[in-house]
Amino acid sequence: MNFITRTVGNTEVVEITGDVDLKVSPLLRKSLFAALKKSEKVAVNLSNIAYIDSSGIAVFIESLRESQKLGNMFVLFGMSPKVYEVFKLTHVLRIFQIFENEAQALGLEAQ
Amino acid sequence: MTHIEPTNPGGLEFKAHLELSSNVGFLSVVRSTVEALTIELGWSPEVAMSIKLAIDEALTNKIRHAYDSRPDGQIQIDIMTVRKGLVFQLSDQGKAPDMRRLCARKKLSTEPGGLGTHIIRDVMDEVVYESVGVNNLLIMTKYFPASFPYPETAGEGNP
Repeated sequence: MNFITRTVGNTEVVEITGDVDLKVSPLLRKSLFAALKKSEKVAVNLSNIAYIDSSGIAVFIESLRESQKLGNMFVLFGMSPKVYEVFKLTHVLRIFQIFENEAQALGLEAQ
Repeated sequence: MTHIEPTNPGGLEFKAHLELSSNVGFLSVVRSTVEALTIELGWSPEVAMSIKLAIDEALTNKIRHAYDSRPDGQIQIDIMTVRKGLVFQLSDQGKAPDMRRLCARKKLSTEPGGLGTHIIRDVMDEVVYESVGVNNLLIMTKYFPASFPYPETAGEGNP
């Protein structure tokens, strides 16, 4: 797995590529928490995730809670059917703001 | 150690024993094995993905909770076809799971912990936790669907 963070206006866009499992989720947590400290909004691109387990989902939940603590926004976009299935199995879909694409996640395009 | 007798479901008998360290680097190796096997046995890619996820969650829980994320614990995985489906038996010699905490998480909770055990219960048809001596066993069975090419075994009971 690798992840790249880029700044777009007031948002940190985090691109995740590859498998997200217990091997890499601690590193992902660090990266997302750092992004949350840097900008008022973090948008995570899920479209290039090949596989995700519950340790990855738990990192997103922790990041959402951290963003609420900081008064920031944490949103997800580009959810593939594979990733959607895991979110569904863990019953956490309703707690996240999920957008179809980056433009919508950044508020540049209507949903 | 629980002994499960493998049976041959229409020429697709499979039995494997894996021994590995509690090293997170092996998670992807086990996932690949499980995915390839379940596809070969005829499950759809969607169901194969969910079985792979459940086994990954079970292994992750053993690494995290039985061995506190140490990479030097030992884990044994037995995979075998039985009459009614595919059995995965994971065994470790670390800390026994706290039965009160298993699936204690409410399904719509926003807590980050406890997600994996719900996935295992949702995906698998049978889930049994057992402690035998120093061995902590987790035995999971996924039934073959009725559409599988084993009509003579469909609907039968135990292995």
